[in-house]
Amino acid sequence: MKKLSKLMEDLGRHFEKGARLERWYAVYEAIDSFLLGSNTRTTCAPHVRDGIDLKRIMSTVLIALLPCVIMALWNTGYQANSALVQLGLAAPEGWRGQIMLQVGCDPASSLSNLVHGALYFLPIYLVTMLVGSIWELIFNYLRGHEFSEAFLVTGLLFTLTLPPTIPLWQVVLGISFGVVFAKEVFGGVGRNFMNPALASRAFLYFAYPAQMTGDEVWTTVSGVSGATPLGILASAQPGQAMQSLDWSWTQAFLGTIPGSMGETSTLACLLGAVILLITRIASWRIMLAMLIGAMVCASLFWLTGDGSNPLQEVPPHWHLVLGGFAFGLVFMATDPVSAAQTATGQWLYGLLIGFLCILIRVANPAYPEGVMLAILLGNVFAPLFDFFVIEANIKRRKLRHG
Amino acid sequence: MADESPYKPFYSVLILAFFCSALVAGAVVGLQPKQEANRQLDRKKNILAAAGLYRQDQPIDQLFAAIETKIVELATGAYVPEDRLSPQSYNQLKAALSADMGRSLAAEEDLARIRRLEKYALVYLVKKGETVEQFILPVRGKGLWSTMFAYVAVDADLQTVRGVAFYEHGETPGLGGEVENSRWQGLWQGKKIYTETGDIGLQVVKGKAADAGNAAAYEIDGLSGATLTSQGVDHLLKFWFGDNGFKPFFQKLHQKDISNG
Amino acid sequence: MAESTQDLLTKSILTRNPIALLVLGICSALAVTGQMATALVMAVCVTLVTAFSSLVISIVRFQIPSTVRIGIQIMVIATLVILVDQILKAFYFDLAKQLSIYVGLIITNCIVMGRAEGFAMSNPPVASFMDGIGNGLGYGFVLITVSFIRELFGSGSLFGVEILPLTSNGGWYLRNGLLVLPASAFFLIALLIWLLRTIDPNQQEKD
Repeated sequence: MKKLSKLMEDLGRHFEKGARLERWYAVYEAIDSFLLGSNTRTTCAPHVRDGIDLKRIMSTVLIALLPCVIMALWNTGYQANSALVQLGLAAPEGWRGQIMLQVGCDPASSLSNLVHGALYFLPIYLVTMLVGSIWELIFNYLRGHEFSEAFLVTGLLFTLTLPPTIPLWQVVLGISFGVVFAKEVFGGVGRNFMNPALASRAFLYFAYPAQMTGDEVWTTVSGVSGATPLGILASAQPGQAMQSLDWSWTQAFLGTIPGSMGETSTLACLLGAVILLITRIASWRIMLAMLIGAMVCASLFWLTGDGSNPLQEVPPHWHLVLGGFAFGLVFMATDPVSAAQTATGQWLYGLLIGFLCILIRVANPAYPEGVMLAILLGNVFAPLFDFFVIEANIKRRKLRHG
Repeated sequence: MADESPYKPFYSVLILAFFCSALVAGAVVGLQPKQEANRQLDRKKNILAAAGLYRQDQPIDQLFAAIETKIVELATGAYVPEDRLSPQSYNQLKAALSADMGRSLAAEEDLARIRRLEKYALVYLVKKGETVEQFILPVRGKGLWSTMFAYVAVDADLQTVRGVAFYEHGETPGLGGEVENSRWQGLWQGKKIYTETGDIGLQVVKGKAADAGNAAAYEIDGLSGATLTSQGVDHLLKFWFGDNGFKPFFQKLHQKDISNG
Repeated sequence: MAESTQDLLTKSILTRNPIALLVLGICSALAVTGQMATALVMAVCVTLVTAFSSLVISIVRFQIPSTVRIGIQIMVIATLVILVDQILKAFYFDLAKQLSIYVGLIITNCIVMGRAEGFAMSNPPVASFMDGIGNGLGYGFVLITVSFIRELFGSGSLFGVEILPLTSNGGWYLRNGLLVLPASAFFLIALLIWLLRTIDPNQQEKD
């Protein structure tokens, strides 16, 4: 370790101001701080009023995401293996089949599930990280900024919200759009008003809806057709929406249903939420407010259902375990950069997102997976909420103190 | 402009308004017949396209000469004589909205979600000499966002679809908007409408249609990524080939065949 | 103030483009850029309307009482727009159908009003006419660029001629659905502005 530290220090001289490789300082700093940790403090946004620094926040979020990642690997493999067994096949086609023949495809074996899932998850993740890093590198090089660990989180979040069947070139386009348009054009980390992972996902959602809306096969084996639960509900016959689902609430809660890789398991998201709340990185106000907003909206729809819209028949507690709701609530809405900062603002922000996301899900038949859109809209409103809260505060204080 | 009289704004505006309105009115009146002709041509083109008779290099009016327009009373299926309603001036959509020519549909019979149905519908008969080769029927129904309008061409056997042309809709471009895709519309050709028991077998399925067996004759591929638009198309077929739609008309034609033969 | 005719014509294309620098006329730039054919027709229509409205207004500029000048400008512009709309409907029905209400909405296109009020009211007829043409060309330049990208990658064709065979027609190219939606023009125009301002830093706004 000491040797490494010495080596990096020696190398560092070449990157100092005025030295030959000055422009490449960003790259050096990234590697240095990744290996050895940084001794600088945050001096620019995001300002979190805490002794904690950006790096520690991001590492904690990564840890909180672990349950979701494991579940993503397991469930993707489980869905694929189950489908294979159903079809009576030994292994999928292509290069994955070669590897899976060694492991064996058995939905009852966790190892097989994990390996099979990893074969889908890792390519997407690696491509995301690679392409995203290249963009970061370009902009950091041009601007002389330092690398930020925020992208590690962005990349993982983005990967987890994708369906396992997505073509890799779409991943490339998606993350490029998200990083450039939602983050870099606004000045890089901490200056973005939207969550870049969500913006990437939204781009893909509108650009290639056939692959992304949950209408198509999301199980990775060709020949098995099945939409995500929300997709099925949206096109169900009115009056028998809930009967058209093959899954129980517990299954949906545990996450053994087809869907985006990391979003299916509400349980995994809950574990992540516990970590984020204990470490006080995510705001409990946002989570609670979003939950309340969604419950109110879902109950309203459920009670006023007149049999014409199948999604109105979904009971409120089901809404919590379907689609990306739990994942969005825990990891996306609470992103400290793009969320509201003031306490009252956070309440309003959470309520708005919760309400909107059920509204989009139920009232708009084209976008059953509307959580992401609701959060993006919430992001847009967050600064406004903060502004009014602060204005109101100033006014109140003026009145009180003259 | 120093010594502006207080009346100048008024009369300068008046003079200008007079000139402008004369110009606009002249243009509108002068070009009206041409525009109306264009609209008619466009309608005829869509009808021809449904029947697969449209050729780019031939004048539309000449092609349309082989087509006879008639009006059918939907409830009875009988032709309406021309002296009662003229096919040339009959406006089906306006009729649906009027109190005496249309009626509102109850929710359970309104499969196509069009709310109001006219009593009389236009049909277009493609004739070769005296024999009718195809019937072209105007249909409409709600997709995801909008009401979709189409012509469906049915063979003289009243069982086989000869073609379809969706010509107006407001569905999402690239998804539901693919109803206007000519490749997809081509899939309709040769599909059967009624099953042996007389039910409507023709349907737009989710995903790919069966490519063999009994079902293959009735199924049309769904539009990928547009479940609800596909469902809308399916429902409008069920409606317009059903009892509220053209089924009585078909039955009447069948009876005629039997009495003639 | 006296600029050469050539300057009036060309400067509006890059150095003071009405869309890229002044951000005018965005509404129609979003709506009609899905296909190059409609974008081109729209560009021609706007160029004609801007040029002739500027010409007419410039000719009568000493007769226009300042209290009602906006009303008079709108009247001239509206007349021209209706004429263009009627002619399109009569002679180019297919295009008119695709452009639907957007030809009529040229009346509210800020470029036309902006040039009438900002230039034609205080300049001689020929210069005003040239200025109108120039701004129309600037508008057209953005429209054509945006529609080129949108049609090529959104529909796989240019001017309706297939370039990239779409999967929905049996080809290999999977269309980008975002580019089919009008909102994508926002991103493209933003990119274009970014590009123009990088090339010509004079266009950048001071903080």
